[in-house]
Amino acid sequence: MVKKTLSRIYIFLIFLFLYAPILVLAVLSFNRSDSRVSWGGFTLSRYVACFESESIMSAFATTLEITFCSAVIATIIGTLAAMGISSMKKRGQAIYLGATNIPLLNADIVTGISMMLLFVRFTNLGFVTVLIAHITFNIPYVILNVLPKLKQANRSTYEAALDLGASPVRAFFTVTWPEIRSGVFSGFLMAVTMSLDDFSITYFTKGAGVNTLSTMLYAQLRKGIKPELYALSTILFLTVLLLLIATNINGDKKVDNRLIRRVISAVIMLALFTGSVFVLVQQHRISGGGDRTITVLNYGKYIDGELLDRFERETGITVKYEEYEEPEEMYTKYKAGAISYDLICTSDYIIEKLIEEDELLPIDDSQLTNYENIDPALIEMSTFDPSHQYTIPYFYGTLGILYNTKDYSEDQVKSWDLIWDKQVSGHLIMTNSVRDAFSPALIACGYSINDTDPAHLKEAQMVLSRQKPMVSAYYVDETANEMIAENASLAVCYSGEAALAMDENEHLKYIVPDEGSNLWIDSWFVPKSCRNYQDALTFLDFLCDNEVALQNFEYVYYASPILYVQTHMDIDDRLNSAINPENRVTRNCEVYRALDNDTSAYLNTLWQELKSQ
Amino acid sequence: MNKRTGRLLAGPYLFWMIGFVILPLLFVFVYAFTNSDGNISLEAFRTIFTATNAKAIGLSLELGLLTTVICLLLAYPLAMILNGLKIKSQSFIVFIFMLPMWMNFMLRILAWKQLLNKNGVLNAFLSLLGLPGIDILNTPAAVVFGMVYDFLPFMLLPIYNAMSRIRQDWIEAARDLGAGNLLILVRIIFPLTLSGVISGIVMVFVPSLTSFAISQILGGGKVLLIGNVIEQDFMQGNQWNAGSSLSMILMIFVLLSMAIMNLFQHDEEGTQLW
Amino acid sequence: MGKKHLIDFVDISKSYHHNLVLDEFNLYIRENEFVTLLGPSGCGKTTTLRLLGGFEKPDKGQILFDGADITNVPANERKLNTVFQKYSLFPHMSIAENIAFGLKIAKKSDAYIKDKISYALKLVNLDGYENRSVDSLSGGQQQRIAIARAIVNEPKVLLLDEPLGALDLKLRQSMQYELMRLKDELGITFVYVTHDQEEALTMSDTIVVMNQGYIQQIGTPEGIYNEPENAFVADFIGHSNIIDGIMLHDELVEILGVPMPCVDKGFGINKPVDVVIRPEDVELVAPGSGKLHGTVISNLFKGVHYELEVRAAGYEWLVHTTKYYEVGQEVDLDVIPFNIQIMHKPESSDEKAVEIDE
Repeated sequence: MVKKTLSRIYIFLIFLFLYAPILVLAVLSFNRSDSRVSWGGFTLSRYVACFESESIMSAFATTLEITFCSAVIATIIGTLAAMGISSMKKRGQAIYLGATNIPLLNADIVTGISMMLLFVRFTNLGFVTVLIAHITFNIPYVILNVLPKLKQANRSTYEAALDLGASPVRAFFTVTWPEIRSGVFSGFLMAVTMSLDDFSITYFTKGAGVNTLSTMLYAQLRKGIKPELYALSTILFLTVLLLLIATNINGDKKVDNRLIRRVISAVIMLALFTGSVFVLVQQHRISGGGDRTITVLNYGKYIDGELLDRFERETGITVKYEEYEEPEEMYTKYKAGAISYDLICTSDYIIEKLIEEDELLPIDDSQLTNYENIDPALIEMSTFDPSHQYTIPYFYGTLGILYNTKDYSEDQVKSWDLIWDKQVSGHLIMTNSVRDAFSPALIACGYSINDTDPAHLKEAQMVLSRQKPMVSAYYVDETANEMIAENASLAVCYSGEAALAMDENEHLKYIVPDEGSNLWIDSWFVPKSCRNYQDALTFLDFLCDNEVALQNFEYVYYASPILYVQTHMDIDDRLNSAINPENRVTRNCEVYRALDNDTSAYLNTLWQELKSQ
Repeated sequence: MNKRTGRLLAGPYLFWMIGFVILPLLFVFVYAFTNSDGNISLEAFRTIFTATNAKAIGLSLELGLLTTVICLLLAYPLAMILNGLKIKSQSFIVFIFMLPMWMNFMLRILAWKQLLNKNGVLNAFLSLLGLPGIDILNTPAAVVFGMVYDFLPFMLLPIYNAMSRIRQDWIEAARDLGAGNLLILVRIIFPLTLSGVISGIVMVFVPSLTSFAISQILGGGKVLLIGNVIEQDFMQGNQWNAGSSLSMILMIFVLLSMAIMNLFQHDEEGTQLW
Repeated sequence: MGKKHLIDFVDISKSYHHNLVLDEFNLYIRENEFVTLLGPSGCGKTTTLRLLGGFEKPDKGQILFDGADITNVPANERKLNTVFQKYSLFPHMSIAENIAFGLKIAKKSDAYIKDKISYALKLVNLDGYENRSVDSLSGGQQQRIAIARAIVNEPKVLLLDEPLGALDLKLRQSMQYELMRLKDELGITFVYVTHDQEEALTMSDTIVVMNQGYIQQIGTPEGIYNEPENAFVADFIGHSNIIDGIMLHDELVEILGVPMPCVDKGFGINKPVDVVIRPEDVELVAPGSGKLHGTVISNLFKGVHYELEVRAAGYEWLVHTTKYYEVGQEVDLDVIPFNIQIMHKPESSDEKAVEIDE
């Protein structure tokens, strides 16, 4: 009896372990508060927002589409393969099964990378490459589910059917198929599960703009998760749970059991199928919008979506808008020739690198009627584009310290010295971006943030190593949430993050220390791959329009180079140094210069060394 | 459909495997043995033999082993209990452990991050009970926690499968011949589930050795595993050659695990994961 | 057989999920006896064996072994061993390891174990099979290994749960002789469970016929066969003609309206009874010279004899004969008084249940 109770408790604990995160997400999905920590009352608005969010719905649709298509194709290829393998001799079987084990047992990351290397050599990364990758890792699951059934299936019945005059195809469907059907179905289900759950392989084989739920979440994890996703996850979970309960309740009654199961699986199939068709049609509509289409690549959450609609309405130009998260990721893929765009927005030092590599087309500012709206000081500061002919500034900001006024006074944080001090131990969030982390360290050592002397970089690394034990975590985009939740009281971060955090927690303040810091400028450029130069310029001109820029500012909340915005924004915002760096501040700041390959690699090595300590 | 045409059915698969499994791996191979100019060189391998990488591999092995051992210790008794429940439908068990996988992997790990937070749900609950809070987020412990969470089903299911194949009369026969509970476990149940245990170990060890997302999210960027190094080499550092040579090294561990698995499963077909 | 009781079941009751399997069950088994529990599936025979083996606990009652109460002694501490229906050899061990399993647990010396293995393999005619794997053996061989694995532990009682059920007829017959030989050589008690009456009749010293948790009859094979105590036993033990009759008075019974002399007495006057007449006891005589007149309706050649069905007086008689009769041929039936077996009609509801069940 004691033993029974103990085992019950054990099972309960394991289930709690497995399902606790799901429950937490479900609870959070009804939370009115944006914070992930405190309860702000019950709401269903997340669910509404979830269905209204285009990015979530499109990632969800892509996920379903990839899952369903890859599972179906893998099931067909895998079932055929299993039949082929089962009619082979022992030796052949062993070889095939060995090969089947490779994608099954190989590390996901290696599978993903190997396919990425193959794909970028021959084609662009995109939906199809993800699909191929998923099919590849799904096939083994189908084979391993079907093969045992084929072994059990009696070959003589198949031969008997032939003997009785059935054609091979007919014999297969009337005799063999019923015996292996359950194996095929569980193989399919397995493939669906694996596909739904995959992250690593999708991550490496996806092109910019193609997101499954996993990769979208991974990207958002750094930008902060939208609470709508909790709603989506809860809906997903409940759907699956209901299906499970339905199949199992009916499992007791033997009579209709099979029929019901068949109906349910038919319903799932139909739902997946219609969903996929719907999305395919929609995607087709978006991509096949005629000649006047521009493909735009931008950071995630970096434009007001309404403006895109307005632009399309006003000009009749279709915008194929895609997002990315890490500039290095964009650069790597761009260099591999895996993506082609008409217009790209990215960070200063990446642009400098691309200019050096002669990857950009000059922008003819005479065609931009709104060019004079741009603050000339910002154009002047765009030192990464010395001839000022390749870029149009979009937003800018600083790197500084976000602090909680309950724990620190303004005097304390006026200098970078504080983040090297023992008293911040355990409360400090350091930035997880290589250059941003090195910048304060280089400043502390008395060097420029663009210093390339290996000895100086090494010195800066020493400073960072001494700091590491005191750092609570290295974050980039989670910083805001952690600071809002007061899990830390000091953070090195961008002004944009800081502005977001300060909006949520009144105790937070942002400062750029007196020693100076990085001033970053994100700008638009036209890559050589551009196919629709005229319309790309029309889009740029649109973005420089005063009212458009103001609306966009109110969404993005970073400092805008458009003079009109600087004078017409809300007075609080104007005084907010996080959003609007004062001249005193910007004077001390430097814009990043592109690093040469050796320095870049060396910096990366130093960073990895630091992380592994 | 005679034997020969039967074999042809595996044709598409063969084509697919060569095109999308073998060929990509050859690409990794080629990148690993060339430099950034495309010439044959061992430079990539030279650059990866650094203290950083050694440390990352060491930590990955350590956390991977720890994860595997914890998964085994959790899953084995669980499999025994579940098997003892004599639930009629085995697929129900499989389903209930696969169900969380239908939820997104990222979402679940993210949820754990919420739970484990200093001001998170778990600590709030603990303090409610008057217990001291735990602060493991952003440490290797949190990474192990997350990996155990994510990979536990991969350990449980093969063991449970092997266990459900043990016939009750074998146990009775052993008892009849004088074996007590402990002897039955050691001499009958464990050897008969060994192939499942090996499958489970491989299915958990390989992904936990090579994980990069979990360490990124739950490690707070402070836990650098070999997977993170490779990811950075490819996605940020633009050091594809070094990344490829590290992947090759990783492959050695994977192949080793596959060899061990095959050694124990001479009489089974493929893996018996499900 | 004046030997002392080795095993006593005392008032054993056992039920599964409110199904009473054994009810106030009493049985003793003597030393060195070959006892067979015989009955259809669900009769409680396997439960009886599992209670004895220690795999189940009775709800009520006691099991005595050599006079000591072993009701609560776990299976691994009982001095008896079981041969299971499905052989139950451990698939991950070699033949030798299987046989050595019990001995190793008993911490016997290696030399002793080695001797025992080769002795046991000789005993079951499989010497030289030590290092074979379980899979490579046929069903019959596996069963013999299972027996070897049990007997090396020198149990006082060997329990056999339908050990030959999975074997084909020929193998089954040769294994029956092997088992009898073994029993003689080992000189231990065998408790054997089967639903095959032929097996029971061939091997047993004592047969216990069971149905629905009750003992129907205990006796020697001859006693059970020749003088079944009720219709269930008669029917279960062989293909008999069981006919409703009326005992007119001592030594005279009326069957199908025809009075027939018999040898039984003491049933009272005009009492309804069951009459059992074995097929080989029905004599076919020329029309006009027997007690009942009938027509042959089927004829099957069975090798040693023909099996006929003869319709006479509204009843289809099963008849074994060595002479050939055409279908449709008219014959008379006769039975000598000694071969007419009179049985009480069942009275209790339990006994009725027995009848309905069959």
